[in-house]
Formats: sequence, structure tokens, C-alpha cells
Amino acid sequence: MKNKYMFGGIIIIVFMGIMGYLFTETNISYEENFSKIISSNKTMKATGSWVKEKSFHVDKQNKQFSFFMKDYLGNEMKVIYNGTIPNNFESSTSVVVTGKYQNGSFHAKDILTKCPSKYEEQFDETSKS
Amino acid sequence: MAGNIVITIGFLTGLFTIFMYYLTYKGYENTLIKARIGYHLTAIMAIVASILLFHAVLTHQYQYNYVFNYSGSGLSTGLLLSTFWGGQEGSFLLWVLFTAVVGIILLEYTSKRGDLEPRVMMIFTLSLTFLLFLVTPLLKSPFNFIWMDPSFVETKFLNSQYLSLPFMQNFFFEDSAAGKSFVKIDSQLYTLLTANGIAIKDFIIEGKGLNPLLQNFWMQIHPPFLFVGFAMSAVPFSFAMAALIKNDYKDWVKQAFPWMLSGTMVLGLAIMLGGYWAYGILGWGGYWGWDPVENSSLIPWLIGVASIHTLVIQKKTQSDKSAGRFVKTNLILAMLTYIFVLYSTFLTRSGILGESSVHSFAEPGMLVYLLLVIFMVTFLLIGSIGFISRWNTLNEDFDEEEGVLSRELALFTGAVAILASAIIVLAGTSAPIFGQAVEIRFYDELNLPIAIIIGLLNGFSLLLKWKSNKSEYIWKKLLTPFAISLILTVILVLWGSVYNLMLILLSLSAIFSIVVNFEIAYKIARKKATHIGAYVAHIGIALFLLGVVATSGFSSQDSLDLEKGKTTSIFGYDLTFEGYQPVENGEKYAFNIKVEKNGSSSIVAPVMYVSSINNSLMREPAIWNMFTRDFYVTPLSYEDGGGQKHNHAGRSVTLRKGESVDHKGNKVIFDSFNFPQDAMSAMMGGGSFSIGANLTVDGYGKTYKIEPKMESDNGNRKYVSAKIDELDLLVEMTNLDASGSVSLVLKNISGNDETIAEVQPEVLSIEASVKPFINLVWTGVILMVIGFILSAIKRTKEA
Repeated sequence: MKNKYMFGGIIIIVFMGIMGYLFTETNISYEENFSKIISSNKTMKATGSWVKEKSFHVDKQNKQFSFFMKDYLGNEMKVIYNGTIPNNFESSTSVVVTGKYQNGSFHAKDILTKCPSKYEEQFDETSKS
Repeated sequence: MAGNIVITIGFLTGLFTIFMYYLTYKGYENTLIKARIGYHLTAIMAIVASILLFHAVLTHQYQYNYVFNYSGSGLSTGLLLSTFWGGQEGSFLLWVLFTAVVGIILLEYTSKRGDLEPRVMMIFTLSLTFLLFLVTPLLKSPFNFIWMDPSFVETKFLNSQYLSLPFMQNFFFEDSAAGKSFVKIDSQLYTLLTANGIAIKDFIIEGKGLNPLLQNFWMQIHPPFLFVGFAMSAVPFSFAMAALIKNDYKDWVKQAFPWMLSGTMVLGLAIMLGGYWAYGILGWGGYWGWDPVENSSLIPWLIGVASIHTLVIQKKTQSDKSAGRFVKTNLILAMLTYIFVLYSTFLTRSGILGESSVHSFAEPGMLVYLLLVIFMVTFLLIGSIGFISRWNTLNEDFDEEEGVLSRELALFTGAVAILASAIIVLAGTSAPIFGQAVEIRFYDELNLPIAIIIGLLNGFSLLLKWKSNKSEYIWKKLLTPFAISLILTVILVLWGSVYNLMLILLSLSAIFSIVVNFEIAYKIARKKATHIGAYVAHIGIALFLLGVVATSGFSSQDSLDLEKGKTTSIFGYDLTFEGYQPVENGEKYAFNIKVEKNGSSSIVAPVMYVSSINNSLMREPAIWNMFTRDFYVTPLSYEDGGGQKHNHAGRSVTLRKGESVDHKGNKVIFDSFNFPQDAMSAMMGGGSFSIGANLTVDGYGKTYKIEPKMESDNGNRKYVSAKIDELDLLVEMTNLDASGSVSLVLKNISGNDETIAEVQPEVLSIEASVKPFINLVWTGVILMVIGFILSAIKRTKEA
């Protein structure tokens, strides 16, 4: 009886340990301040918005898609994504990119675009500001 | 209005029913009939409310905020039905509906089994009433009118003949940045409209429409299945609570068993319908992306599967005196299944996953967030209090120690492994609550060894007898199936060049499980065919795992450009782009690609279109489904041949917003449309207006801004070109498309263009991939579902 609990306990501890280790190892944090992203070499999820004025660029030869993104403080950075424009990109209000900042631009592995779910809300904000 | 009244009545009769069932449980005699009437009334209200919402959707009653926001007139009847659950309010109502219907069956079922009904139905009605509470008018009712909260509605959704009414002018709002004008609809405007004899449903004549990603068959079938699964998961919770209330833990096991099986079956099927949707329509490229929303419904499913296995043990070890093994475990797991369904709802509906999920849900606001937390915590508390108050009885020694080599222990270990997988998924999926996220490999790396253990136990446990086994006996039984599996695995490894150790082990464990289960199923099928459910489900999961090995380890993927009429080869397939044609009333374009391999060929036609709802390019993949593999094509972009079509001298190009073209060393960028504010009203009124295209030209170190225009006078279009003398560049506009593209002709001003009349080919860019043995995944799921159904039928007969 005692042995059973000991055995079970050890398995649980080992399992939790491995899981905890992998959790911290694969952990990606969200960052809203781009200056922190630029100074770090870790993989992060950058949240901000697309700088519409600077448009975006599709490089067919290298199959790259690039655009500028800014954070809530107005910091801008260039984002390069190996792939094509995601669905919904043009109408997105906020963008979440996962990747690393290297050699002067943010190399995204993944782009997530969030679209206004209600046009009124969007209008409400613009009309207030 | 009627809908809100019906929901409110349903909520109140729900409360009444709970109270009557409580009195019945307490021993009152004439309250049972009242409770039954109360429940049926509640269920009828839920059904009537649903019919009213369907009716409102089908008849385009845009005065309802919900119908306006999620529905539209251009949708087919099937899609209109799916707008019922296209948004949060409606999907809650769908959950209410299914819970109510499941409850009718449950009432019938429990009323025939002793004193079960009041206890089970009291708890079950509580969960139904909670759900009804969420859709009451004060919270998330789909029947609230649009003017109850002021909302800005774009003028294109409104009946233009009323827009010029004098009192309307105070309600106009312009958004010049987006070139849109809005009308603020609030109770004041409603009063004015009504006073002028205008019904609001004649005023709002169009809805915003359904998200284009949801406009397909799978949207019509995945959510209903999911909510049936959610509704059914409340049943085991109710049975477990009923057992705690009575302090008797024996009978509930066999009584709840068929419900547990069928609920888990439906939930599992729903999850994989979502997986197929993501693969076949949404173009995620795979059936599972470890997206938090997918994960959140996987957690209760895994717990449900684990609990089925521990329930089997308890049932098998029951005797006249004993309630069997794992009494506490089973109570906890049955309750956790439902609590994690609620947790899943909390994660997906509270907005907490906002930035971490591909699924987008509207921000529901603080109130719903709190309510969902309260909902979850209430049921957690009910379960915990019930459990703790019976602690003394529960802790009585039900334990009859089993041998180390017994089927009980092997099954229990399997259940623990499944739970470990649930904990992994839970940890990763809950990370966003703390502002964190994990990479996909967190799930892959942790679940892989667990899947291997599950596969091995899946076979091994069935070779063991109940209670205890002699080790010599085991070795003898194990030898043949294991040898066969080993040989098959070696063949597979050599034939498929599987060189990853973990994938080899997973293949071995899956094959072992198939061999053992197949042998047993074959033996049983000849005697009692109805008893093979468990084995069929096991073979299903094993085939599924083999499918996972094949698709995750051996898929190949690359992107390429296809010139029209020219054959390009990739992964041994010859691809020829043959042109495109409009489909679905010209709203979408299908791009036909002929795919050939070893003499057989097929036409795949991926689809692209610009959705009018979100003004974005949408892409739908196409699949050539072969027996051993899928050839999967995702369209990326298409370039029109330009010069071929137009007979203008010079070069024709079509640019979308933000795109640029290089022309003789100059870079021409299309920035935006110049869409003056009065153009919109002039357009409607039929007056004259002009729309310009803002272009930036970079040439020889200088930047120029020009604006060719389209002028319209009473419907006659005229184009005004723009020129840059220094660059000898003349830009003519030939067409503009409100979806965001402009067609231009670039010429020399001096007119000697003939020399550069380049003819560009039509090019389709695609991403192509080969997914070997993906059919195993679907076959596995179908077998699992069949297995669950067979078992559920068998256990219903026993219950």
C-alpha cells in the first residue's frame, strides 16, 4: 500500500518536472513594447498594429511578405514573414506576430490578424479620437 | 420581444422545476408530477425560443441586434440556419436547446430507474437553468433589439429612401478615413421612426452577413455536434452528484455508463469534424493545430475517455457488498468532464484567448466573463461540497487490492496516461490566462511518449485477465501478437524509411494494439457481434495514431508558381494550370489545375475570392484524395496576364492597394483611393462625382505623387489620365474596383511604346503538399465513433 503511493508519487513528480521544464523552454511571452523586442534575442509574440501608411510588400521571388508594425508607444519595426499575406490582413485592426528580432527586422514564423468584429465599435473609437 | 418573454418564462420554470425536484427528493408526494410538468415547460420554452430565432433569421428580422450582426440576405437557407449559432448569443441558445432535449430523454430514462429521477434531474435542471440565465434579456439574449444599445450602422445596410428624412440628419456620422457613413440607431431614433410610421425592419434592410470563413457546410454541422456533446456531458455530472446525494455509489456506474459513452462519442466526433473543416476548407494544412480553442474541447474529451476506463473497472469489481474499485476517481472524473466543458466555454467565450487563437470571438465584456467564472465555480463548488461531505463514506475501504499484473491496474494506468495528456493540454491552453503561450512542440514532445504508452497498454491490458495473472501466462499470451507486431513494424520501417526512434516506437505500439484488438474482436464477433465495440474503438485510435505518424513525419510541402498552360513538376506530380472560371454566381473564382501522376490524373480547383464582408482575399484549398495519400493545394495568389487582354499600347497592370510595379526603372505604387465624402451620396443620387487613385512613383531618385481619376456623370464613366513629364510617363486608368484594385496602363508620353509590348503570362502561385495516409486519420475516427456507438448500445441494454 505504502509502496503504491510512493511509486505513484514519484511518477507524478517526474511527469510534472518534465512538463514544467518543457513549459519554460517552449514558453513565449507577449510583448507590447517593441523596444524590448528589439533588444532581446528571444522568440516572442509581438502585439501591435499594421502601419497602413507604409503599406506592405510582397516579394514573389523570395516568397516573403513584409510590412511595418507599430506598438502602442508608436515604436515601429519591419516584420518579414516567409509566406504569403494572411487572410484578412488588409482589414486587420491588430496583429500578433511570433518570432525573433534579427538583423534589423522582426522575422515572423506566424502571423495572427485580428479583425474588427463590429464596425460600429471601430467607428466609435475613431469618432471619439 | 416574444423570444425574450419565452426565455424568461423558461428560466423561471427551470427554477420551479429544481425546487419541485428538491421537495420530491425530500419526500413530498405530489411534487414529482409538478416537477415533470415544470421540466417539460422549460424544455418547451427552450425549443420555442429556438424556433423563434430560426424564424427571425429566415425572415431577415434585422431589428434584432443579433440577426443584423450575423446574418444577411444573400445567404442560402443552409447558411442562414447556421447564422443561428454564428455568434455568441445564438450559440448559447443552441446549447440551451440541446441541453433541454437531452433532459427530456434523461427524464424518461431516470423515471424508469427507481428513485433516481429527482436527484439526477434536480442537478441537470440546475445546469439547464444556468444556461437559460445566460440568454435572459439582461445578459446575452439573441432577441434584444438593435436600438436598445446605441449602435452605429453603415448606411449601406439601410433603406436609402428614408435617409433623406429631415429628422435623420442628427443621426448621421461620417468616418472620412474609412470613407463610410453611419447612422446611430438608438431608442431616440426608434421613437422618431415609429412616430413617422416606419417599422425598423423596413429601415434596416440588410444584415452584416456571416463571416466568410464560416460560410460552408462544416459550419452547419460542427457546432451542433459540439453542443450536443457539451449538453450530454452534464449527464454524468448529474449522475455522480445523485450518487453523492444518496450516498450510494454502486448503481450510478451502470446507469451513467451509456450516457458517458454516447456523450464522449458525440464530443469526439464534433472535435474531428472541426479538424476536417480546418483541413479541407479553412486551409490550415492539417487536421490539428493545437489551437487553444481546439484544445479546450479536447480536455473534457480526454477526461471522458479516461473515466470510461475507470468506470469499466468499478463495474467489473462490484459485488453484492462492494461498490467496486475507484469509487472516488470515478466520481471526480465524471464531474470534471462537465467542469472542463464549462472551462472550455470560459476560455473561448470570455475573450481571454483574444490574442492567442485563430478563432476570433467578439469581446463579450466583463459581465459575461464574470458569469462564466461563476458558472464554472458554482459547479466546481457543488461537486467539491458533495464530495467532501461524503468523505467518511467514500473513504471506507472499498479497496480490494489487485495484483500488479491485472487488467484493473493496466486499465487504470492507461486512464492515468490519458489524464496526463489532458493535463499537458490543459497547461498549454491555460497559459494565455497568464499572458503566456507555448510553442506547438510543447504538445508534440510531451504527448508523443504518452501516445506510445497508451498504444502499448491498449493492447497489453486486453491480454491480461481480471484480478491477477501469473507472469508465465502473460509471456505466453504476449509472445505471438508481439512477434507479429514487431515483424509488421520492421516491414513498415524499411518500406517507409521511418528513421525517427519515437515514430518507430509509436508505430510499434499502434500496430501492437491493432493486432491484439483485431484478434479479440475477430473471436468475439463470431459469437456476440454486439460486444466488439471497445475493440473497434481501440483499432480506431491505433489507426489514428498511425495516420498521425505518417502525416506528421512524412508530409512534404513547397510553394511554386504555375504559368498557364505550362507543366511544372513537384514531388513527382505534374501540374498544369488550365485557367479559372467564376463559381457560386460569380462571387468566387475556381482555378483549375490538372494534376497527373503515373498515368492517373485529376483536376483540383482551389478557390480564391475577395469577401465583401471583410474586404479580404479568401483562399480555399483543394484536395486530390487518393487511397494512400492526399495531394493538397492551397492557392496563394494569381497574376493576370495584363498585356494580353487590353489592346492599348503600353503596358497594362492591375494593382491592389499597397502593391507596386516596376516599369522601366520607375516604381509605381498604388497607395489608396481618393474617395471624397460627397461621392457616396452622389453615387446614390446619380449625380456626378469622381474617384481618384493616389499613386506614388519613384523614379531616378525622385518621388512623384500623381492621381489619375475616374469621373462619373449620370452613370457615364470617363477616365482622366495623369502624367510625369520628367519621366516621360503617362498613366491611364482603365478600371477601378471597389474591392481595392485599380487597372492602369503605363505609357511613354512620347508614344513610342511598341517596342516594349511585353506579354506577361498568367501565373498562379500555389502551395502544394503531399499528405501520406491521411485517410488513416479519418478511418480511425470513424471506427472510434462506430466502436463507441456499439458499446453505448450494449451498455444501454445492461443499464
